[in-house]
Amino acid sequence: MKKNKAAIAIFITPALLFFLVIFAYPILRTLVMSFFRVESVTAPLASWAPVGIDNYLKLYNTELFRTSMWNLFRIWAIGGIVVMSLALLFAVVLNSGIRFKKFFRAVIYLPNVISAVALATMWLQYVFNTRYGLLTNFFKWLGWQSLASIQWTAPEYMFYSLLFAYCFGMVGYHMLIFSSGIEKIPQDIYEASTIDGASKPQQFRFVTMPLLRGVIKTNITMWSITSVSFFVWSQLFSTVTASNQTITPMVYMYLQVFGAGNVITERNAGLGAAVGVIMAVCVVAVFLLVNVVIKRDDFEY
Amino acid sequence: MNRDLKHYRRINWKNESKLLPGYLLMVLWLMFTVVLIGWIFAASFSTTKEIFKGQALQFPTGLHFENYEKAWTSQNVSTFFFNSLFYASVSSVILILVAAPAAYAISRFKFFLNRPLQSSFVAAMGVPVTMIILPLFGIVSDLQLLKQDVTIRLLLIFLYVGINVPYATIFLLTFFTNLSRSYEEAAAIDGCPPVRTFWQVMLPLAQPGVVTVSIFNFINVWNEYFISLIFASGDKTRPVAVGLYSMINSMRYTGDWAGMFAAVIIVFLPTFLMYIFLSEKIIAGVTGGGVKG
Repeated sequence: MKKNKAAIAIFITPALLFFLVIFAYPILRTLVMSFFRVESVTAPLASWAPVGIDNYLKLYNTELFRTSMWNLFRIWAIGGIVVMSLALLFAVVLNSGIRFKKFFRAVIYLPNVISAVALATMWLQYVFNTRYGLLTNFFKWLGWQSLASIQWTAPEYMFYSLLFAYCFGMVGYHMLIFSSGIEKIPQDIYEASTIDGASKPQQFRFVTMPLLRGVIKTNITMWSITSVSFFVWSQLFSTVTASNQTITPMVYMYLQVFGAGNVITERNAGLGAAVGVIMAVCVVAVFLLVNVVIKRDDFEY
Repeated sequence: MNRDLKHYRRINWKNESKLLPGYLLMVLWLMFTVVLIGWIFAASFSTTKEIFKGQALQFPTGLHFENYEKAWTSQNVSTFFFNSLFYASVSSVILILVAAPAAYAISRFKFFLNRPLQSSFVAAMGVPVTMIILPLFGIVSDLQLLKQDVTIRLLLIFLYVGINVPYATIFLLTFFTNLSRSYEEAAAIDGCPPVRTFWQVMLPLAQPGVVTVSIFNFINVWNEYFISLIFASGDKTRPVAVGLYSMINSMRYTGDWAGMFAAVIIVFLPTFLMYIFLSEKIIAGVTGGGVKG
């Protein structure tokens, strides 16, 4: 038994140390920092000035930050609905008995293994380009002049262009999670319901959906986690000067703490920490909400 | 593929007609993906002039391999490429050395930290990077780690390993849990100490999981953007994602679109090729992990 204790210590210590240094300590420090005025990220603890919830109030009163939260909400809600519906649809289609299932599945997941910078460049410089781009040429070919002449990356369309391109890349991941959930449902339940006279849509509504509760929870949680880290796409779709259309809280934080500072003038890393805390709280809130709304089911595979 | 479709239809016309909308959807999505990547690939062999004339697919002046040459040498893509290769492969190896023993211990032994460790790791998978980046930056600059290229490189590897430890541990946990205890019992009877049993018996048995985690981590680190943006500010230490971004920005002034597309393809190709050969393993990495709500 003594031998085991030593072995356990050897086994878990490295991982534990990494966890403490990378997660535990920084999380606590960010939390504390968000209640202080901190000249710069590198300022020593002694120079921090306690300000209570001032940082949060200041963020709330900053229009650019409110815009960034609104953008994040739209990305999360609209993008979430689009991505989840497409992902579920694809997962159902893939498991409906079509041929080349593995091939199609691999194609749909493909954007997830490509660097986001490369993928966003493909969309920005090709699909949305108005000189030689895909959309412009496609609508010209259809003869829809009004659509062909749309400037996809002009300020008024920028946000939805960005969201659309982002969703394209995200569908694959959530499709895989839905798909693995569907695969786990035993085939005999479908057979039994077919014998009972259930149609395909009825089977989907009364067999598939209820049994996917756990998977839906996972998907919403994962979607929220990736949403709060929305950064690369935003940076690529706007210049460094942060356009209001695409700014997200993470971009705001980056500009606030590390940035060129041409939009945000006040140097206060405490504000950045507060943004971090707000993002973490958002994830936890969604997680708790989802767990309350979607009750755990005993019948789950 | 179309021929296959008709073939199938002839065999079971009724069944096929039901599935037709599904096929249509899949094929449309496939076509879009192929056009998107295919066009970029073609444009990377074209010239900027031809791209703007809309002749990227016609190659009126032949294939321009020099786009790649230019991107590779004069735009520093080679440096970014080898940086990323280094970060991704070294961090994958260290990640396994750190996460596999922890996963094994959690799966096999009862100790007071067992449950807390598991739930902390699961929780850590949901922690946004914004929540940890500021203190990390503070520590790092206190330690004067951002002054030398060597320390920046080691730092990035350290961060990539640390951030992925929770995911990797939880993923490998399921693999070790599913291995039979009889292996260890046999090893113990032969007098093999637990630590040696792990390295020589159990880790090789968990190889499928280890391979999946490594590939998955390699791709994640290859594509990582935010952390390297903050910590690897110099040209010499930049990985591909940040390098590509800075290149795209400078492309606005040089106007070399063909070169930019070549750079995009260079960044895209390694993970794409890995994916072609290992897609099943990678997909298992998404669905097999402990991502259950």
